[in-house]
Amino acid sequence: MDSLDPRIARLHDIRAGEVPTVGAHDYGETYEVFHQAKRGKHHAHVGTVHAPDPELALVYAKEQYGRRQQTVNMWVVRTADIFAFPYDDSDMFDSTPQKIHREAAGYKTRDKIEAYKKKQAQ
Amino acid sequence: MYGGGYIPEEEKRKQQHMEEDPAKLAEFEARIDNGEKIEPHDWMPAEYRKQLIRMIEQHAHSEIIGSLPEGTWITRAPSFKRKMALIAKVQDEIGHGQLLYNAAETLGKSREQMMQDLLTGKSKYSNVFNYPAKTWADVAVIGFLIDAAAIVNQVANSKGSYGPYSRALERICYEESFHLKQGHDAFVALATGTESQRAMLQDAVNRWYRPIIHFFGPSDKDSVHTGKLMRWKVKMMTNDAMRNQFLSSYVPKVWELGLSFPDPKLHKDDNGEWHFSDPNWDEFYQVIKGNGPCNAERLAVRSWVETQHKWIREALFNPNAKYTLPLS
Amino acid sequence: MEATQELLFKIADDALIMGHTDSTWTGLGPTLEEDIAFSSMSQDKIGHAWNLYQMLHDKFGLADADTLGFKREEKEYKCSHLTEVPTQDYAYALVRQFFFDHGQFMRFSALKNSSIEWLADFSRKVTSEIKYHTLHGDTWLKKLGAQGNEESKARMQSAINEVFPLALGYFEEGPREAELIEKNIFIGEKALQEAWLEKVGDLVAQYGLTLPEGNTVDPSLGGRNGYHTEHLQPLLAEMTEVTASDPEATW
Ligand SMILES: [Fe+2]
Ligand SMILES: [Fe+2]
Repeated sequence: MDSLDPRIARLHDIRAGEVPTVGAHDYGETYEVFHQAKRGKHHAHVGTVHAPDPELALVYAKEQYGRRQQTVNMWVVRTADIFAFPYDDSDMFDSTPQKIHREAAGYKTRDKIEAYKKKQAQ
Repeated sequence: MYGGGYIPEEEKRKQQHMEEDPAKLAEFEARIDNGEKIEPHDWMPAEYRKQLIRMIEQHAHSEIIGSLPEGTWITRAPSFKRKMALIAKVQDEIGHGQLLYNAAETLGKSREQMMQDLLTGKSKYSNVFNYPAKTWADVAVIGFLIDAAAIVNQVANSKGSYGPYSRALERICYEESFHLKQGHDAFVALATGTESQRAMLQDAVNRWYRPIIHFFGPSDKDSVHTGKLMRWKVKMMTNDAMRNQFLSSYVPKVWELGLSFPDPKLHKDDNGEWHFSDPNWDEFYQVIKGNGPCNAERLAVRSWVETQHKWIREALFNPNAKYTLPLS
Repeated sequence: MEATQELLFKIADDALIMGHTDSTWTGLGPTLEEDIAFSSMSQDKIGHAWNLYQMLHDKFGLADADTLGFKREEKEYKCSHLTEVPTQDYAYALVRQFFFDHGQFMRFSALKNSSIEWLADFSRKVTSEIKYHTLHGDTWLKKLGAQGNEESKARMQSAINEVFPLALGYFEEGPREAELIEKNIFIGEKALQEAWLEKVGDLVAQYGLTLPEGNTVDPSLGGRNGYHTEHLQPLLAEMTEVTASDPEATW
């Protein structure tokens, strides 16, 4: 093909106007990528890769999601293997004031201790 | 890189007739008004989904096709620094395509289908990449000015309402700042270099001026359609506002180097608004239709990629593969 | 001193020309993900070359890295033929990468023990980067060999047959080989080739493919002495097209 790009000018079998069919699974399945920036940190979800299998998914994850970031480890998992809540149900995560028993602020002991100490001193 | 988000007229007419459940629509719009993001499995109006797919898909195609004009100079970049920067930049653009196809996939269209629609010409991409990169100076102009224009567009869109698109754009904008820097560096090197380098650069600026004015698309500030897309935070700024922002930031940076644009009418008025000569929107529509100088080559290259590697896909094909939309 | 320069030049030239020919795939790779991975490896190699030319400049007072990398005569380049050949068939590109990167990995691993401290230091950094390159190559040979279909196996095997003689040329000795070995700068090409043959022979067999018998193959020699394939001259002309257009300019 006549091209200003010598790389393209050299290609054999390149023809304008011939449109190939892209098959339904030509790019494999998707894998979710988890990236750990530092030892001691959690792996965090950073995106997706298309790959024919987990081994290549890892090979790809490293360059697509690790090439500019500090990285010590990565995971990939098939998207199909992830279970998630529907967003429709996200109201169930809303918290009511009664949940104060789970919060540190829900426990105030200092008053009792002070009162006890005062009583002992008498 | 990216431009426009062009919507054909007939498409606009079709969309006016879609009816949505008013209660769900109200809840959806309230979420957007609240500054919350929409996530992939949320209820969303059909038109919102459709417009987002179109826009993100066009953006993704623009990234991978956009790698071709600059790729023209990969084997000829004139120093280690330029060679490494150019390969890394083109690689980033492919990476942007990858991120954006993923974001579009969360809305229900597979990457395979998007690629097919690109190859048949059904889906569009930014016109600017249908122009040739004739000299090394074109690489500098693209890396500086086209990436700058893309940044204006992408920074605006990153504040949009769709979660996966915003997330992808955040990372993309971070990488674009490197593109802009290296582009400006190459641009300044030519502008402050020898006579022949300056001449080469001025010639490239002249040739890219019209595609750059076209980049943000025709004026759409009076379109009803734009109003709705802005209401839903699919589109964040009008084409004119983006173009004006771009011209304000970058025209002075070209002028300060003693270079010019081939348009005597180009100037900023006292209200900060830029004016320019009629950029021949007819040419813009012609290029969209496939009649630009490089449309055929760009698509031939992507078709070659698919055909050439068919045997690899067949060898790796997994009959048990299950198609699942990416999660986020 | 000259022996060390000779060693650095051949490693640098190999890395530059290999990275350059691999960069023809950037933007044209089989899938987007593969494109990105392959492009990174091309950049790594050009980066290694850049570093090595810089060392030649710093340690021996030679010209700057850009001049050494871009402005020598074809005859002065010491790259092996393996690096010069264009690749349009991905099977060929993968096999070439597999052979080359195992060679590079083992070469730099050996150089970690070099009597030249700064070269040993550099080699430690480079090997960790090349580890990924060999992982990439190994994974692909396995996928398209043992785990592939008939067609992919046949394509990989014919690529191996074609590339193997070029790969053997990578181990061609330079004129000052003996001095490098004697001064414990480098273990020498013979020892390197022996270890490499064992390693890639094992891997290729594991991947359901076969290496041609060594004695049936004519290694493609000459590169280390400045005698190149017909591909190098046009490659260099293309690489320097822009700089040649205005030799006074900086870019
Ligand atoms: Fe960019
Ligand atoms: Fe981009």
